[in-house]
Formats: sequence, C-alpha cells, structure tokens
Amino acid sequence: MTDGWNIVVCVKQVPDADDVTIDPDTGTLNRSDAPAVLNSPDRNAVESALELRAAVGGTVTAITMGPPVAKAVLQTAVGAGADGGVLLTDRAFGGSDTWPTSLALARAAAELDADVVICGEESTDSSTGQVPPGIAAHNGWSQLTYVESLEPRPDEGVLVGKRDVEGGYERVAAQLPVVVAMEFGANVPRPAGLHRKIFAETEFEPVEWTASDLGIEEQVGLANSPTKVGGMDTASPVERERVVVDSVDDLYEHIEEVV
Amino acid sequence: MSESEPTLQKPNHQTETPNYDDAYDAIVVGAGLSGTAAALTMAREGLDVLLLERGPAPGTKNVFGGVLYTPTIRELVDIDDAPLERYIAEKKFSMLSADGDETAVSMRPSAWSDDPHNDSYTVLRRRFDEWFAKQAEEAGVTLITETTVTDVLRDGDTIVGVRTDRPDGEIRAPVVVLAEGANSLVSETAGLKDRPDREDVAVSVKEVFKLNRETIDDRFHLDGDAGAAYHYFGEGAVGEAVGGGFVYTNKRTVSVGVAYRIEDAAQGQTPEATLDAFESHPAVAPLVRGGRRIEYSAHAIPEGGADAMPDLVYDGAVVVGDAAGLVLNSGVHLEGTNMAVESGYHAGKAIAAAIEDGRTDEAALAAYPRDLEDSFVVENLRHYDWFHRTIATDRQFLFEDLPRALADAETEYFKMDRSSKEAHTDAARERLLDATGGWVGAAKRAWRFRRMLS
Repeated sequence: MTDGWNIVVCVKQVPDADDVTIDPDTGTLNRSDAPAVLNSPDRNAVESALELRAAVGGTVTAITMGPPVAKAVLQTAVGAGADGGVLLTDRAFGGSDTWPTSLALARAAAELDADVVICGEESTDSSTGQVPPGIAAHNGWSQLTYVESLEPRPDEGVLVGKRDVEGGYERVAAQLPVVVAMEFGANVPRPAGLHRKIFAETEFEPVEWTASDLGIEEQVGLANSPTKVGGMDTASPVERERVVVDSVDDLYEHIEEVV
Repeated sequence: MSESEPTLQKPNHQTETPNYDDAYDAIVVGAGLSGTAAALTMAREGLDVLLLERGPAPGTKNVFGGVLYTPTIRELVDIDDAPLERYIAEKKFSMLSADGDETAVSMRPSAWSDDPHNDSYTVLRRRFDEWFAKQAEEAGVTLITETTVTDVLRDGDTIVGVRTDRPDGEIRAPVVVLAEGANSLVSETAGLKDRPDREDVAVSVKEVFKLNRETIDDRFHLDGDAGAAYHYFGEGAVGEAVGGGFVYTNKRTVSVGVAYRIEDAAQGQTPEATLDAFESHPAVAPLVRGGRRIEYSAHAIPEGGADAMPDLVYDGAVVVGDAAGLVLNSGVHLEGTNMAVESGYHAGKAIAAAIEDGRTDEAALAAYPRDLEDSFVVENLRHYDWFHRTIATDRQFLFEDLPRALADAETEYFKMDRSSKEAHTDAARERLLDATGGWVGAAKRAWRFRRMLS
C-alpha cells in the first residue's frame, strides 16, 4: 500500500444536547427546537482519521446520511481537514433505524473502496452504538470498538487498536478493511484552520448519493427497520425527604428508623 | 461492479486549501448590529465581504437592555419578517426612593400603536442578530462563526487584515471594519483607541424572566403585540450609584436590569446586589413575581459621549458601533443599537465608494466620519454631552433627596386628615423646596437640566 489508505469517517448531525428538550406529552425529543450540530464523539473520529492520514498517507472522505441540511456536518469535517465528502440523501432513507442506516453507510464505504471506516462510538441523540458494528457486519469487515488510539501497520495491511476494556485495555490487530468506533474523548480534535474553514463553508460541495445509487432502495426506511417503539414514558422526579439533624445521635436514630 | 451499472460520481478530493488573502474586499470583525449593517450595506453595493463572529451564532454574545430602534434597519431589510417581540406602546419614567416610594410619569400616545410603531420594538438579540446576519448572508456576505479576531495586520501604518485565534489564522483584505463591541480589545491592542476612562463606561446586568403571555398582558395592561418600556431612576433603582434600572416586556418574557457607572462598581457596589435590590423594590417586584429566571447577562456600555469617541477611520480600517462609543444615555433617551446600525450603514457606503475609486486609505474613507457627523448619531451625542457630568454632580439630589421629597410631598398633598387642602399644599411645597435648596436652588437646578427635554 504505497499510495496510502482510503479512510472514510462517518459523521452525524444531531440536535445540540445543550438545547434539547423532551416533550412531556409524547416522551419524544423535541429535535426541531435545538440547533443541529456535529455529534461530539464524531469529532474524535474525524481527528483520528486525520492523524491516520498523516501517518500512512491517503485521503479522508467524510460521509453522512440525512436531509440536505446535513451538509453542515460534512463542512465541519472538511473544515477540520477531510479531503472530501459524500451526502447520502433520499426520502427513502426516512425513518431508518440502525440496521438500514448501517447498511447504507456500509455500501457507501464499499463504493469508496474504504480501507478504514472510522465512526464515533455512539450518537448523542440515540446512544445505541450499533452503527459501527453494523457497518462491519453488512460488509463482512473486521471491527475495532471502544478504541482509545490507533497504530497503523501499512506494510502488513493491519490496523492495531488499543481498546478500552473493563479493568484495563487490550491491543487488537485487525485486517483491512476495518471499521473503528472511537471512544468519546479519545483525542483532542483540532480546530479548523481559518482558510480551510472558509473553503469548507463557501466552495466545498459534497457529492450526493441516493438509496437507488447504492442499489438499496428496497432495504432502507421505516418499513425495513426492525426497531419497534412500543411506547414512551417520562419518569417523574421523586420528591426526597429532607431532614436536618443536629447531632450524630439524631442521625443514628433516623438511620435506624429507615433501616 | 458490472459494466452495465452506471458509475457513481466520486467525491472531489481537495486536499490543498485555497488561500483567501485579498479574496474579499472587506473583513468585518463582529456580527452584531453595526457589523452586520456594514456587511449588508457593502454586499448590496456589490462588495465581497467576510463577516467574522466569535460566538457560535450571531447574537449569542450580545447584550442590550431590550429596545431596538429600527428607522435605519428598515431601510436595509424587510423588518416585517424580523423576529420582533413587542412594539413599545407605553413608556414610563419612574423615580424610586430606597424606602419603597415610587413617583412615575407614564405615556401612551395612540400614535405609537399605529404602524410603524415609532420604530421602537423589544427584541431578543439571540434571535434578532441571527436573523439580521442571515439577511446579510442572503445578500452574499460570507459569515464565519466561532472565530475570534485577536489583532489587526499592518503593512507599515496601513491595516491590511486581521489575525484570528484559528490555526493558519491570518487573512488580508483592503479594508477592516472593527465592529467588536464595547469591550474592544482588538482596537485597544492595535492602538486605535485608548482604554476608556472608568467614568465613561457603565456596567449593565440583566435578567430575563419567563412568564406566560397573558400574565404579561395583564400586569402591564397590554393587548396584542403592544409592549412596555419602564425606566427607573433614584436610589431605589441603583442604590448609591449613578445610573438607572429598566423593565421591558417581550412576548413571553420580561427583561429586568440595571446600568450604572463602572466607577461605582469599582467602589464596591456589586452588580448582582444592585440588581437584586432593584428587583426587590416594591414597585418592581410585582412585575416579575413568579417568573422563572432563564437568562442572566452582563455587559459594558461606553457612555463617554462625543468627547470619548476615538478616531473612526485609519488607513485600511474603520471603527463602528459600540467600539466607537456610539451610545446615547441622556436619562430620557437610552439608545445604542440604532446608532450602531447607522454607523455601520455609513461606513459600508463610504467603503464601497472608496473601493470603487481603488483606494482604501484614511482620506478615501473619510466620508464615513463626515456622514456620521452629519447624521443624528453625532448630533445627539454632542447635544447630550453635558448630561453625564451634570448628573454626577447632582447625584445626591437626583438619586436620594428628590425621590424621597417627591414621595413626601405627594403624601402631604393628598393627605386625608382634618386640615385644609391649602395646608397640605404648603406642606408639600415645603418638602420639595427643602430638597431642592429653596427657590434659588430649584431655579438653578431647573436651569441645569433644561436641556434634558430640549
């Protein structure tokens, strides 16, 4: 692999967690109220993609699936330094859960001849963490999840990931192509350079692919999503008893009562 | 992939970053009202403009009391589409003593209820500034947010661009418009203006309370989009400081704040305690009772008037809005945003004309300060220049003695007891004359403040 790796980074537009509210009647998120931003863990994914490119050469292509306004997160990735972007946009994608979403991203990654696909570990609006393993499963590629850092071995066609596991870490060497889920906060995302940011927000244009471009128009959307939401409930806060005691003995008595 | 399948368009990879030095005719520092007005004016004149804003969106860093005066904005954009809160249907000027007395003058001319509502509306900056900048973008302005300008770039004495906090963060353009606001660190660092004197800067703190619309309508006696602007003076408003308090109604929120000299804050009167006392005053507390506090903000206000205005134009740069000290506080008139927009507009026009001539030196840009000088902005600043000096001198009388004397006089005048009305009138007059220093003192004071209403 002398001409570097094709690195694909998956990014998602999510409602700004600082501004998101829950509709008390339906129990669903009021997504439309909050401004849309790049999913925070994806910043770590973009950063590690750029670091990987610096180490082995090649290109970084950002992809996202969503409505036309989702272009904004591709601009953020290109501003940070990604070379180009693909927007998967089609009404047919509407209502897709993690299964068809990961299928679409998997097909797009294959179309881009990806050697490495890097994702954030999960999205802040649904927090399933299912999409990165889903991409690997659909394509039959290797996967590295909960990754803290990456060590490329281009001569062997291998990517080594340091994985966060309970009680420590493990180092796993994966054959290319490989899908990586980067841990949130694994690195410090670089700020966009001024001129790069101007380029990303004024001249950069992603290519747009539809479901039928990828040959999956019959396999995506709400109808092809196995997730069924049975109902939503909001938990009402429980009023806690507050007692101020004057002495240790009083405290002991109170505890004794409860126990 | 088989031969028959159409091949997908591959993404264009652009690894090389273009350089945007001198790709724009002008760089505007700050997407507040003056900066956006300048950017919009220049774009309409056919210039390529880069508008840099440090916040995540225009308006997120901006603080003002709450009333936007729109005569010039109306010339630039279709104000009917703007996110306005309420038009000002009532103005009230109120004296508060520290003992809980209130003496107020309220006005509701019916003309204010008719379009265009005397061009006075409450707005929330977070929404309005973002909308205003959107109009500029639609006119062709490039808005780049989350980018803080830290210094200007110079070639000899000429300003040729700006430095930002981003990597690869320098960019050049023939003209830089400094619209960075009251806390104008770039202009000060670059030596374009002196650090203002303490006496010439006010501190303002403000809280926004959420109430439902009907509650606001009931408490302030309002209907539909009508709104109220209450201004408060005296010891009950800002304690021992020189300044005032305000209450403005938005659609579903009420803005409450105080503004007073930073000099007084430095002497130990903290903004939070001052605001707290104002909000607890019996004349103010019922207006916001039960409201949920959803926002707290603080800001500096340049109040030096015409004398404190820095030079507005340099080789390759102009200064507009709060950064240029264009704020009017005459006691009766509290204005800044309209002057900000006016200065941005004149600056934009002047820059477009200069660039048309292929020049951007100080002389070529001189139309801006000249036009501003001829506009209401500088005229009003000069007209009211006396005001701050005068109130500072008369603080004890204006803020402590007068509100109390008025309340005492009212109490005497309307007293229900068994003495005659004439006796009440005499007692009331005596209270007032005591406070004003007798007939001679009252005459002197009246003379000093005659220009307030002229």
